[in-house]
Amino acid sequence: MIRVRGMHKSYRTGKLVTPVLHGVDLEIEDGEMVSIVGPSGSGKSTLLHAIGGLDRDYEGTIEVDGRDLHAMNDVELSAYRNRHVGFVFQTFNLLQHQTCAENVALPSLFARGKQVMSHGQALERAREVLARVDLSDKVDAAPTTLSGGQRQRVAIARALFNEPQLMLCDEPTGNLDSAMGAAIMDLFCRLNREDGITVVIVTHDPRIASATHRRVRVQDGRVLEDEGDDDLAATPRAEAAGEAKAEASADGGDERAEGTAEADDEERRAEG
Amino acid sequence: MRSNRLFMMVLANLRRSRNHFLLASIGIVVGIATFAFFLSLGLGVRQVVLGKIFPLDKLEVIPKSLEVDVGPIRMGMGRDVLDDEMVAKIKALPGVKAVYPKMKLTVGSIAYGGEALFGTDLRSEIVADGIDPDLMTEEIDRDGYEFADFDAPERLAEEPLVPCTKDEECGKKMYCGPPAGSTVERGGTKAKAKPKPRPKPKPRPKPKTIDAKIPTRTLAPPTAPPGTQATPPKPATSPSPATPKPGASPRPATASAPAIPGASASAQPGSPSPTTPGTGAAPPGTPRTVPRTPTPKAAEPEPEPEPAKVCRHFVPVIVSNHVVELYNGTLRRAHNFPQLNPDAVRGFTFDLIVGESMVLASNKDRVVHDRGMFVGFSDKAIPLGITLPLGYVQRYNVEFGNAEDAQRYHSVIVEVPVKDDVAMVAKGVEDLELQVKDSGAEQAALLIAVFMMVFGLVSAVIVGIAAVNIMHVFFMLVYERQREIGVMRAVGATRGDIGRIILGEAASLGMMAGTAGLLLAVTAASIFDQVSARYVPDFPYKPTTYFDFPWWLIVASLAFSVSFCVLGALLPARRAARMEPARVLSGN
Repeated sequence: MIRVRGMHKSYRTGKLVTPVLHGVDLEIEDGEMVSIVGPSGSGKSTLLHAIGGLDRDYEGTIEVDGRDLHAMNDVELSAYRNRHVGFVFQTFNLLQHQTCAENVALPSLFARGKQVMSHGQALERAREVLARVDLSDKVDAAPTTLSGGQRQRVAIARALFNEPQLMLCDEPTGNLDSAMGAAIMDLFCRLNREDGITVVIVTHDPRIASATHRRVRVQDGRVLEDEGDDDLAATPRAEAAGEAKAEASADGGDERAEGTAEADDEERRAEG
Repeated sequence: MRSNRLFMMVLANLRRSRNHFLLASIGIVVGIATFAFFLSLGLGVRQVVLGKIFPLDKLEVIPKSLEVDVGPIRMGMGRDVLDDEMVAKIKALPGVKAVYPKMKLTVGSIAYGGEALFGTDLRSEIVADGIDPDLMTEEIDRDGYEFADFDAPERLAEEPLVPCTKDEECGKKMYCGPPAGSTVERGGTKAKAKPKPRPKPKPRPKPKTIDAKIPTRTLAPPTAPPGTQATPPKPATSPSPATPKPGASPRPATASAPAIPGASASAQPGSPSPTTPGTGAAPPGTPRTVPRTPTPKAAEPEPEPEPAKVCRHFVPVIVSNHVVELYNGTLRRAHNFPQLNPDAVRGFTFDLIVGESMVLASNKDRVVHDRGMFVGFSDKAIPLGITLPLGYVQRYNVEFGNAEDAQRYHSVIVEVPVKDDVAMVAKGVEDLELQVKDSGAEQAALLIAVFMMVFGLVSAVIVGIAAVNIMHVFFMLVYERQREIGVMRAVGATRGDIGRIILGEAASLGMMAGTAGLLLAVTAASIFDQVSARYVPDFPYKPTTYFDFPWWLIVASLAFSVSFCVLGALLPARRAARMEPARVLSGN
């Protein structure tokens, strides 16, 4: 369970102080699939990073399963990120000089204690995780040869490497076309449903948000709305994602590989 | 983070940015090459200068004497010798491991021979000194050669004399000659054009009373089987009732039995006393009391009994490398002699005639005629002359001087194992009213140390500048890789992990650049040596290599390189570790 209490955050650029979050309170239960929506600069990514232990420079408290992140030192916080959190970014953030398997196995490099494994074991585990995101055939491929959707799936596999309880996604579909975005959302829903992983997605796209159980609207540094789906059973999330896909404009990212581009072209023609 | 995986990652990163690193490491390579090259040059030159020209490992202590110039003569005031008591005092000084007294031969002597080497026999006045054979054990005693006092009484007592008539009857590295200690009249034995067959020396009694410590010549009873027709030598000494008092007249023509306890003990009283034809009158146990100055030409009817020849060890002789340098560099050119290979000269034998001199006034009325053998070259030998085991020189000096000469040392080699103790020992020596012989080593050592320091400093500056370059490159790389660093932090890397990756890259770079620099230095050194060997004319002490690459220099070069690279990468690594991942990953 994640509990954010009275979180304030400001960015400093020289003498200029830009407040971003003004006393955010938020609770997320285990196994929830939550989207944080809001316009650019509203502070949603900042909130996500703080929950993920990437940022400690804030006021207030963030407790994850009863542990105050602010009180943790660098090593403890790093271990928390390594074992309990999986990050997925808009720009995928894959290491271009490594293969997909090596990218997925990256967390094993910083494992501590019982988690420590050899290079061979790590690659074996990476293969298993890549199979879960349907990329068994791309184990030794370089990320540059993959389509945007495939890259994001590699990034998701990396996030899944240590079987985290929490997955934090920062605009995960922002660089993908709608079809790819829908497929990725489908994957998140599956992971949430089947593995019970808590998924928090930051997005400014209401259609992506609608595919989640709960939507938290952040605006001007405050939680403006917090609404949940009561008719979840009636509207499977996959379908909701499908609807979102159909309506989504083709604002696909520039990271798309040729295969994806072709798919997009077909889609445009269909729309045209 | 496991170190092997860190290492793999570091190597991959180095490979990825190889062009940057290649440029950045040029300075380090050049700096380390400079460092290793000049330091090894300094070490190599120091080895030649301090090891061969001015050995510094052992101090030579000489008596402190005030010298006053009187016209062309320099008068020495105070004593110019050291005795056993003083040697014991020096040995007792803190920091001194061992002392080795040296004694100069105080009687004129001649060396004769050399046809095998020079094509003609040479005859030369020689200067000689004696040193403790123990000092030379490590240096000389190999390949069957030994620098030892073979004629020491204890040794003669152990090795029974074998009578012989010619050299072939004796073992290797031995010759057939008069028994040790024999002297012959000079006039009749003067080495002429060819001393072979060598004049038959006549035995001479030991006329003096000699302290037990003084090496003496003893003839053990011959061990030839009774049937062998050989003329066994008489026992040199045997207990005699007529023991002269110490300090008795040193040179009686015929002396009564000398009281030499050691010699007496070695006479093996239980063994049958050999008799010599012609001297049968002498009762067993009578010391050799053959008149010292019989004139062969005298018309005495009964010829003097010839002493038996016995198998003898050559007198081992070492010479200084200075002599070799002098010969090969200068002397041989004047006489058109061949250049000598020092190793091949070992085993060369020559006649050693002690008591004879080219300076007529120095000639003695009798001479000791021994044969010497070069057993090796050492810088501990007298710079110009020959060096014998101390016992020989003591005996020669006593033979032609008096009993006290056995402990009139001219200097003492003091072994000081710890270099830092040298000053303390030198102070102790001063307190004993002695002085350390100035060999010029200190100045040479200082000069070389300054040379090494200057070039060490130059290379440090080069490596320092290179380290700044490394820093620049790492700052750039950290900037380029900030997103990558952010990802690593997001998946669990601590600040320390990030720092270790950057510093690991710097250390690996330093290791590679250091190795390359060392290889460059070794290559340059080898080229330098080859050029010197081919184009630089021979000069004294010209070494085959000017360089010395001890293991510690290699370790130091690598450590130098690695530490400067790491130092250069320290700030970039700090910046990388402190980077805020959230800001980097969100692209702000």
